[in-house]
Amino acid sequence: MNPTPIPPTTAPDVPDGTNNLPSPAERLQSLLADFLDKSQATFSLVIDRGGSILCQQGSLSGSVDNSILAALAAGSFAATKELAARLGEPEFNTLHHQGKHANILVNTVDDDAVLMTVFGPETTVGLVKFYAVSTVSSLAVLLKEARTSSDSQVAISKSDLDTVGNIFPQ
Amino acid sequence: MSIINYVNKEVQFKIVYYGPALCGKTTNLTYIHSHVADASKGDLVSLATAADRTLFFDFLPLNAVAIQGFKTRFQLYTVPGQVVYNATRQLVLRSIDGVVFVADSQWDKMQENVESFHNLRDNLALQGMDLSQIPYVLQYNKRDIPRSAPIHYLEYILNNQPVRVPSFESVATTGDGVFATLNAVSRLLLAKLVRESEEAADASKARAATPVVATPLVIASAQPNGNQS
Repeated sequence: MNPTPIPPTTAPDVPDGTNNLPSPAERLQSLLADFLDKSQATFSLVIDRGGSILCQQGSLSGSVDNSILAALAAGSFAATKELAARLGEPEFNTLHHQGKHANILVNTVDDDAVLMTVFGPETTVGLVKFYAVSTVSSLAVLLKEARTSSDSQVAISKSDLDTVGNIFPQ
Repeated sequence: MSIINYVNKEVQFKIVYYGPALCGKTTNLTYIHSHVADASKGDLVSLATAADRTLFFDFLPLNAVAIQGFKTRFQLYTVPGQVVYNATRQLVLRSIDGVVFVADSQWDKMQENVESFHNLRDNLALQGMDLSQIPYVLQYNKRDIPRSAPIHYLEYILNNQPVRVPSFESVATTGDGVFATLNAVSRLLLAKLVRESEEAADASKARAATPVVATPLVIASAQPNGNQS
């Protein structure tokens, strides 16, 4: 005798926008968390090449302003791109700054973004580089999705702006 | 176009202070940094030469109002004004949202002002951008200098166009006009964000209202002789 089929307790995912798939932002964070976990790196930032932060994961000791890190990393990466151009290269797609206790690795993600990773002596540059390669290709796909996602659209109107007085009171 | 931090729900605007060498770009940022509440500002970072001339850029991050759940963050940059650093200026202009063009009011700086303004247009064009499409304001700095060029002359050489952009007199060393300039360009950026937001909402509504029209299915009827009509 065939058992009576048990009806599903949850509705199947349907392409009507009512399912609970993680948003692109959540998937970006999850991807970076997985990268940090595997590479044993401390902190990562996905940065627009103009110097703005797109997303971040992990933390740094002390009070470090992420936006300053992003601006400096983007500037440094842009400067090395000009160096590369002088040598006939489109750009150096990886940049490694080695310190005594801290290292920075910067990888190209796509034409608009780079991945900056901070790591310490508990891991190696080889391991971080290895996992960074697969991470940046997944990041490129996710960022493309995030840029057009409704989650990343700002819904503000003129009346919202009218309520704002001096943006920077002296 | 403003950049959104997907995780923090933060809208970031990049404003670049542009202008000829020694016109007061860094002085603007220094004054702003020293007069904004600690909670709203980050460190002022200067990549400068030993002689305190800007080598790459100055950078000052500022937190501002939250609108509809989105935090706003304004990132102020300067460019090196010296002619020789043009490649650096081009790098700093990447992903720019707004510009403050700082002009030097001294009579003997008029040619440098005009050259720097043209240089701004040219460098934006290299990135496929048009200054007329970017929110920008003019700041006529060093108004305290005796026998400085009159405002109408500065307007004539830098703001002589059908739709004039906002312009401000300033003395950046004392702070006169510094916040008026910053608030004006910031408000222009927020107004642009509102326009883009409303356009996106309208486009979304239009898509939703468009009835789905079934594409007529044309079936070629086979004729007995093998021809199709």
